[in-house]
Amino acid sequence: MDSTVFIVRSIIIFVIFGITLLIATYSTYAERKVAAFLQDRLGPNRAGPFGIWQPLADAVKMFTKEEFIPAQANKWLFIAGPCFAMLTALMASAVIPFGDTVQYEGQFIAVQGIDINIGILWIFGIVSLGVYGVMIGGWASNNKFSLLGAIRAASQNISYELAMGLSIIAILMMSGSLSLRDMVNQQATPFLGVSGLNWNIFYQPVGFIIFLTCAFAECNRTPFDLPECETELVGGYHTEYSSMKLGFYLFAEYINMFVSSAVISALYFGGFNFPGQAWVASLLPAGALGHNLLTSIGVVVFFGKIFFFIFFYMWVRWTLPRFRYDQLMNLGWKTLIPLAILNIVVTGAGLLFDFKPATWLIVIFVVVLAVISAAQPRKTMRPQQSTV
Amino acid sequence: MLSIISLSLFGILNLFLGFLKSRRVLLPATLLFIALAFAANLLDWNHQYVYFRDMLRTNNLFINFSSIILLTTFLTVAISRSFGTDEEHTHPAEYYAIMLFSVVGALMMVGFENLIMLFIGLEILSVSLYVLTGSDKRSLRSNEAALKYFLMGSFATGIFLFGIALVYGATGSFNLSAIGSYVSGGPTTGISPLLYVGLLFILAGMLFKVSAAPFHFWTPDVYDGAPTLFTAFMSTVVKTAGFAALYRLLTVSFTGVYGLWWQVLTGVTVLTLLVGNITAVYQSSVKRMLAYSSVSHAGYLLIAVAAKTPQSPSAILFYSLAYSIATITGFAVLILVAEQKPIEGRPDERYEAFNGLAKRNPLLAFSLAVSMVSLAGIPLTAGFWGKFFVFSTAVDRGMTNMGMVLVVAVLMSVVGVYYYFRVIIASYLKTGDSEPIGIRPLYRFILVLTTALTIGLGLFPDVVRQLF
Amino acid sequence: MNVNYIWYFLTFLTLVSAIMVVVVRNPIHSVLYLILTFFCISAHYVLLNAQFLAAVNVIVYAGAIMVLFLFVIMFLNLREYTAESKTNLVKLGAAVLGGVLLVIIVAALRSMQIEPLNKATYNSQVGMVESLGKVLFRDYLLPFELITVLFFVAMVGAVMLGKRETGERNF
Repeated sequence: MDSTVFIVRSIIIFVIFGITLLIATYSTYAERKVAAFLQDRLGPNRAGPFGIWQPLADAVKMFTKEEFIPAQANKWLFIAGPCFAMLTALMASAVIPFGDTVQYEGQFIAVQGIDINIGILWIFGIVSLGVYGVMIGGWASNNKFSLLGAIRAASQNISYELAMGLSIIAILMMSGSLSLRDMVNQQATPFLGVSGLNWNIFYQPVGFIIFLTCAFAECNRTPFDLPECETELVGGYHTEYSSMKLGFYLFAEYINMFVSSAVISALYFGGFNFPGQAWVASLLPAGALGHNLLTSIGVVVFFGKIFFFIFFYMWVRWTLPRFRYDQLMNLGWKTLIPLAILNIVVTGAGLLFDFKPATWLIVIFVVVLAVISAAQPRKTMRPQQSTV
Repeated sequence: MLSIISLSLFGILNLFLGFLKSRRVLLPATLLFIALAFAANLLDWNHQYVYFRDMLRTNNLFINFSSIILLTTFLTVAISRSFGTDEEHTHPAEYYAIMLFSVVGALMMVGFENLIMLFIGLEILSVSLYVLTGSDKRSLRSNEAALKYFLMGSFATGIFLFGIALVYGATGSFNLSAIGSYVSGGPTTGISPLLYVGLLFILAGMLFKVSAAPFHFWTPDVYDGAPTLFTAFMSTVVKTAGFAALYRLLTVSFTGVYGLWWQVLTGVTVLTLLVGNITAVYQSSVKRMLAYSSVSHAGYLLIAVAAKTPQSPSAILFYSLAYSIATITGFAVLILVAEQKPIEGRPDERYEAFNGLAKRNPLLAFSLAVSMVSLAGIPLTAGFWGKFFVFSTAVDRGMTNMGMVLVVAVLMSVVGVYYYFRVIIASYLKTGDSEPIGIRPLYRFILVLTTALTIGLGLFPDVVRQLF
Repeated sequence: MNVNYIWYFLTFLTLVSAIMVVVVRNPIHSVLYLILTFFCISAHYVLLNAQFLAAVNVIVYAGAIMVLFLFVIMFLNLREYTAESKTNLVKLGAAVLGGVLLVIIVAALRSMQIEPLNKATYNSQVGMVESLGKVLFRDYLLPFELITVLFFVAMVGAVMLGKRETGERNF
């Protein structure tokens, strides 16, 4: 590898790393502001203008709090738990294509940590490892509530990983590549003269909904935050944690949110592509400068999409109530997985008969079914059968 | 090939039949499915086909072996009377489906042309049997047997797979004939030592599955703990498929190193014969005795494999047929007799349970006697000719090579007569309670059929042998 | 950077973690070392330019199977593994058997001649997804399809054995 490429690459990696952390930091602030907005409150407004230094104040608080390790806890694993959570959360952002290429001294350098040809599998693998931090921490605390939280996290993650993987397969069938960059580039081609209409969301609505639901579950966000459900489990897996170790867990959650928002944007919303891309490109000067400017606009657009989904996470959190555990399992196993398999079959049929938006048929079918069932007179509800 | 595909589909169909209210349809449906697969299998008679880029080869040998397997399965399913009525077996469709699927695995083991196919077939068969062994969910013995079988079986599978990997490392191919040409053609650098290690590991894995001697420790416990019906299934189908696979693997791929595996196999054979027969003598339960007897029959079958003469496949075929039919008869009688007077909720499987059987039900006693005589290898039954053909392959190979094995085998046959006749003596000469045992028509038909087959094959062995 | 050093380091790590799986007494630690072993194996796959296998190894083994392992062990709550006392004879037998196996494999490996890689004909894309997919769905189509029977049997069996029957004790 050329040394300039190496240097630019390292800079990109460091920048991605820094931005990930920065966004995670300010997500905490945003969460509180959004919550306040939705509940008609003011939110943090003391530290700096609009409370903008609040995350720093939180960090100072976290670092200076007493570090407490329970006497019967497994000390090494107790410390390792949050570290794992943080590690796995940070690793996933390495393969996300944040932008097109940067032209520098005649070379095109991708704005991406590493461009491996199995990018989506990398993300999937890292996400599936994310549960270890929670499990190890929950077990090592030697606390019943922590253990229950950890076990809930594990079963929830495994259940929803399946549906998530199956929903990705439909996308893979359409794109024919495992590389995230290829997938994003494929969505750049204009459809009917308008770039942006070729995004996967227009071909994979069902897959998108399944993926989004599963992403919520994988991040342990409401309505799937059963592992840290305070009404049942005190604090869930991090009951015994304090100071920055707790901070790591909370932080990891926000990083996961950021990463999953980025993946959703890249997979279904065209990544760094934006409508009217060709028109903007024609306005910009030709050569390296224009190319780099276009890339930076793409990066900004991409971050805009990410921020929207982060906002969406928070919006949902302060809107929907939490699921019950059996509801969670039923949704995962009896609804999402069959739906995802159906999605794969329909997508395959669509590819076979060269009718790409085939999965809209599922949407239409489901909507018609819903309308019919809503139109029927309501039957008496059967008592809910609870399963463990 | 058609039989494999049809059985896979029939298994799924069977599961759907389980949704029906009436369970009565299941047994005839399963029998019909097996009969259809049997017919589909016969379509390829006298044709040679290789399917899917050298994955599966069907020829007359394949059809013979798979016919025996399907016949055994048919008989086993036909005597499965406890399904459906029993509260324990609330899901009969699943049992039948798993049995059909396991036959898919067995057929793959018979016709494989690629080691991957052998591995997958072996796994399908094994996994089905782990489940069937533990199907008596409320019996501790059954649970223990299933767990034991699963743990040991998966370990053996691991060793087997390691062996395949090493053979692949040495030869660079999973294909049987490619390995065969590597081994016998002799590469310029000489045969890689990895191949020897791999072959030994594969042998260990396969010998475990057919329960040959140093790998037989699971057999009595598992056969004893499993529901008797599945013991019958296990001890017949697995043996037939296992020996078909072993013979095919060793003769097609490893003829070039016959000197190596011949030594191993003769050692294992002698040990298996000794252990199986001598331990069987000391059993007080007929089911356990039959388990050890199945170990000893693995020994007899191994003789034909180790001899590797042109007559070996037909000897193995005839022996498997005779052994399977006789074993199923034996277990069928055992099921009826043992459930007559349960001790502490468990079927009574001791020798004493057979006391006075001839008076209680002459047909059962006669079938049992014929099957035991056949297993012991007395003339005028199929078992005699099975042993005869097996021994004659050893004689063909030459007394210097197989002399020791032959002597042990003949001696052990004599030992076998002792424990098989204990059952006959109990049922004919001893007196027990005289409560008659009722049999359903289908069950009676199967018993008559198997008994007739055993005697018929004993009188006219050439009828079947022409086909082999 | 020399790839050889990475290989040696990885192999060392693999062996150490694999041995630790057996040696440590706490089952949770054992599982964690096993996960580490899987990671090292995945890294070996990467060195062999088999990225797809590496990712799938992590997803399937580390991501799914080991989570279930950990799950079960946590439920059992085995703090410390108390080994049932084995007799010296058993220990001796195990040691002899394992030792013989080791000697056989080491001897076979030592006398093996590895043909040097031919750089002209070597196909660096052999471990990639495309070539893997082609081999899997063309040459090995039949085993691939028949594996579904295996998984189906396992699934039916698991459901059947795990299902609560009427009249069974409900804990």
